[in-house]
Amino acid sequence: MSSRRPASRAATPVPVPAEVPTETATVTPSENGAPSAVKNSVVLGPNDRLVGQLYIEGDLRVSGTVDGAIEATGDIEVAGGGKVSGEITAYNRLIVGSGASLIGGDVRIARLTVQDGATFSGRVSMGKHEAAVPAQPPPVTQAVAETAAAEPVAAQPVADDMSTPRASTGWTKRKKGR
Amino acid sequence: MDVQEAVAEGAASAENGEVKRDGKKQFSMGPGDILEGKLIYDGSVHADGRVEGEVRVSGSIDVASGATVKALLEGSNVTVKGQVEGMVTARDKLTLGRNARLSGDIQVRRLQIDDGATLNGHVRMGDFEQQASGQ
Repeated sequence: MSSRRPASRAATPVPVPAEVPTETATVTPSENGAPSAVKNSVVLGPNDRLVGQLYIEGDLRVSGTVDGAIEATGDIEVAGGGKVSGEITAYNRLIVGSGASLIGGDVRIARLTVQDGATFSGRVSMGKHEAAVPAQPPPVTQAVAETAAAEPVAAQPVADDMSTPRASTGWTKRKKGR
Repeated sequence: MDVQEAVAEGAASAENGEVKRDGKKQFSMGPGDILEGKLIYDGSVHADGRVEGEVRVSGSIDVASGATVKALLEGSNVTVKGQVEGMVTARDKLTLGRNARLSGDIQVRRLQIDDGATLNGHVRMGDFEQQASGQ
């Protein structure tokens, strides 16, 4: 039935660089405003309502109601009479239109536009919001190193996908030295 | 004490300051001016140069694009084009221009942020129940 796409994807040797086969093209067939076809964009209309969490690789446009946490790798626009309450993370822009309302918890974005007439409140932090994430790896590698030191043979099959090469040398030595 | 100091300093550089507009006073600073302390002013303030301390006015405050402000600001309309560090209260509207950089908590009735502005802090919108007018 739908086995046509994989076939076209497998036919990569064809030198035509015209269209990269992405799923995003399928998701937004009718999005007329998208200039570059590669971008994914999700629209929640005035009668739509979302309660919970939403993660979008691409843009999100809300003119309905969202109650929960939303995160988009592109832009988030709250337009019309859109109402959003909860955590907001936009890797690029956040736009709050003049009739829209955003009652945020944490609002993490790179760029922000709030139009006059909008309702906007929350804790805003702009710029490098991803810097907070990689603070955790050290304890993980330490734990791996510990198991490696305890039983060096059995440690390998355990699912340490990426951290094995790093953990095997430096950390074990330090552990023993202490 | 503080108030006097601030006023005195303002008066010293007030050759361009004290512009009257529709019968309302305006305290106008230039790019080389420095204000340190606490200024309570019945009128509007155009802040430029460097401001440190506290500025409370009955009219509007506008922070020029080259200005560096480390102060608590309170006015009916506050327009920021420069750099501000500190709490900002706008009894009516706060506008952040495209090159504005504001870090601090803000309390406003209306808010407009132009693309390009940077804001870090907590935004509260709505009524002014327990205003930070502890002084």
